[in-house]
Amino acid sequence: MKLADHLKFAAIGIAALLATTGPTQAQVTVLGWPGGPEETALRAAAEAYNAMADVADADKVELIFFGREGFFDKLQADLAAGTDAFDANLLATYSIGRYAPFMEPIDLDAGAAEVYGDSVLATMQFDGQQFGVPTDLSLHFMYYRKDLIDGLLSDDAARARYSEVSMEYLGEAMSPKSPDEWTWRDYAATALYFSKSVNPDSPTRYGTVLQMKNLLFNMMVFHSLPRSYGGNWLDESGNVVVDSDAYRTALELYKMLYDAEATPKDSLSYEYAEANAAFGAGQIAAMMQWNAAAGDLMDGEKTPAVAGKVAVVAPPSGPEGRFTHIHGLGLGLNKNAKNMDGARKFLKWMSTSDAALIYARNGGAPGLTENIVAEVAAERPDLVLLGDYASKYGFVMRGGTSAKALSVYELQAKEFTGYWAGQQSLDEALAKTKSGMEELLQ
Amino acid sequence: MVRARYFNENAVLAAPIVLFLLAFLGFPAVVDIIYSFSDVSFENLRSPRLSGLNNYAAVLADDDFWQATRFSFKFGVITALAECLIGLFLAVFLSPLFNKRPWLLAILMMPMMVAPAMVGLMYRLVLHEFIGPLPHYLYLWFGDSPSFLGPDTVFTTLLVIETLQWTPFALLLFYMAYQAIPAEVREAALVDGAKSVRMFWYIELPLMLPVLGIAFFIRFVDGFRVFDNVFVLTGSGAGGSTTSLSIYIYLAFFRSGKIGNAVAASMILFVVALILLIALGKLRRRMARA
Repeated sequence: MKLADHLKFAAIGIAALLATTGPTQAQVTVLGWPGGPEETALRAAAEAYNAMADVADADKVELIFFGREGFFDKLQADLAAGTDAFDANLLATYSIGRYAPFMEPIDLDAGAAEVYGDSVLATMQFDGQQFGVPTDLSLHFMYYRKDLIDGLLSDDAARARYSEVSMEYLGEAMSPKSPDEWTWRDYAATALYFSKSVNPDSPTRYGTVLQMKNLLFNMMVFHSLPRSYGGNWLDESGNVVVDSDAYRTALELYKMLYDAEATPKDSLSYEYAEANAAFGAGQIAAMMQWNAAAGDLMDGEKTPAVAGKVAVVAPPSGPEGRFTHIHGLGLGLNKNAKNMDGARKFLKWMSTSDAALIYARNGGAPGLTENIVAEVAAERPDLVLLGDYASKYGFVMRGGTSAKALSVYELQAKEFTGYWAGQQSLDEALAKTKSGMEELLQ
Repeated sequence: MVRARYFNENAVLAAPIVLFLLAFLGFPAVVDIIYSFSDVSFENLRSPRLSGLNNYAAVLADDDFWQATRFSFKFGVITALAECLIGLFLAVFLSPLFNKRPWLLAILMMPMMVAPAMVGLMYRLVLHEFIGPLPHYLYLWFGDSPSFLGPDTVFTTLLVIETLQWTPFALLLFYMAYQAIPAEVREAALVDGAKSVRMFWYIELPLMLPVLGIAFFIRFVDGFRVFDNVFVLTGSGAGGSTTSLSIYIYLAFFRSGKIGNAVAASMILFVVALILLIALGKLRRRMARA
């Protein structure tokens, strides 16, 4: 074969390669959260949008997805590299600050505040600017076994034993209460009472299941507790105040439950899936968990051991009130978008009530205001609770949307789990967290 | 003339792979070297500011780096030793069986074919107290199950998982080396009255030593740079207790955004590995001469 033939052969190969990998970008390309109800809901919304008569062909939406594993790391690398492979992309409350340098602020529909409410819109804001339209809201429910709690409340002997247990572990003879009236100490007493290590007659092996793996999402589950005792990341002047009595009390409560084996032995490696599996096995009396778990835990086919026995309330209260961490997923605008105007139009439409209702009816979990959620309440009763809890108890820690928020969660996860595992003292853990946060946030 | 034409053709044919290597290995390597001496984050990836040796100093002063180094070293040495010892025992002990039924060897190789991340995921299920088969049967038979991933046991559990997956690799190498020993050597030893233990210790083992060394080295390197299965199973561990060097670099890069530190740590790792490799090469040559 001559040299010219080699070159021809190479040229044909390259042309074939280009033909198969050439630009596939549609008019407005949106990168969504893959593989769950969020994907199904976004597909339905995009389909409805594309079917609208006033959406030009040049502004039709095409969705792309990549795997969930390491999603935010890959997204960060893409954005930092100045990608224009998508016009709009997924955002999360805790990562807005990190992505903001690569994103454009957006305008929402005039009625967006009436659809979502200010607290939900705030989950997509950074430095006073709106960087995304909220799509899904995440917060926490206290899941509990109604049959067990009802049994406890109606049995005098059980009530007496409960008082003994609370006296022994919490230094106070307490009486059992309905979960909707629980303080964190009531929750702890209930968790101890329903643990075989403390009360061998307990019908469950453990009273609760704590997600204590060194993982940033577990810190989100944890920090409703210190918040209810008045804890925060920063004070109003921007000083780090994590070494507070509130955090101290909360961390000690978790450790006491872990040491007393009121939570499974391997809790230090537990996250969302492990906690659900434990609860679903029928061996846990109550647990704090993401609202996303409600579907599975209340589905008799998926968790037959607890079918018909599970109820939810808002997280317990503390001296400063009742709180639940909230964060949102949403869609924002890539600074390097090829079709900036088309993407803006789509995002604006996504903030209308029409879009929100389509999204909700197709499995999404938007945090909607009372008036709007009423329209889907029959189909999605869980969304009523979601909106209610978000507006009443939702909070974001000061600094929780900053550019370094994810790193703060990582730092807390490492130091706090180190304390729970007995590798360092509480003072050491809090001192290291404080100095690390000062380095990150100031 | 013909030679010159062939030279041209070879250059043209080799050009794509050379360009590929330059683009996909050379360029990132150069960028990494620059980043390791720069103050760089995701915000200024394209315009890093040179900061001298700051990243190296920060990494070397970081307790977490040294904790991760200790974890990786300990993990690498213990797993390599365990895999080689068990692999050697199985290769010798089961050799007659493999000779008769070679397909058994293929079955024993199966753990190696599973992606390490999948192994981590699998053990998250297998060891789970409520849905895992192992705790289930322990509860059934003994009324209790130990904590497999608690602070006191997690390291041992990780060692066992790694050893179970990669012992077949050592077994395969050792079995091949064992089979490669010439029959006449064994016959001569038998004629001289050597019993099986002495034959193994004085004849077979010395002949297999080079393979043992190579297997240990490969398994140590693999254990030292462990990432997937550990990260999937325990993350970086309570208080960072299961942070290997690879996990340290990943967390520094993606989670903390300390790109300069992450790259500096990988450069340190690269230099140490290079020095170790050169030293081992020299040692091997010296031993060969002796």
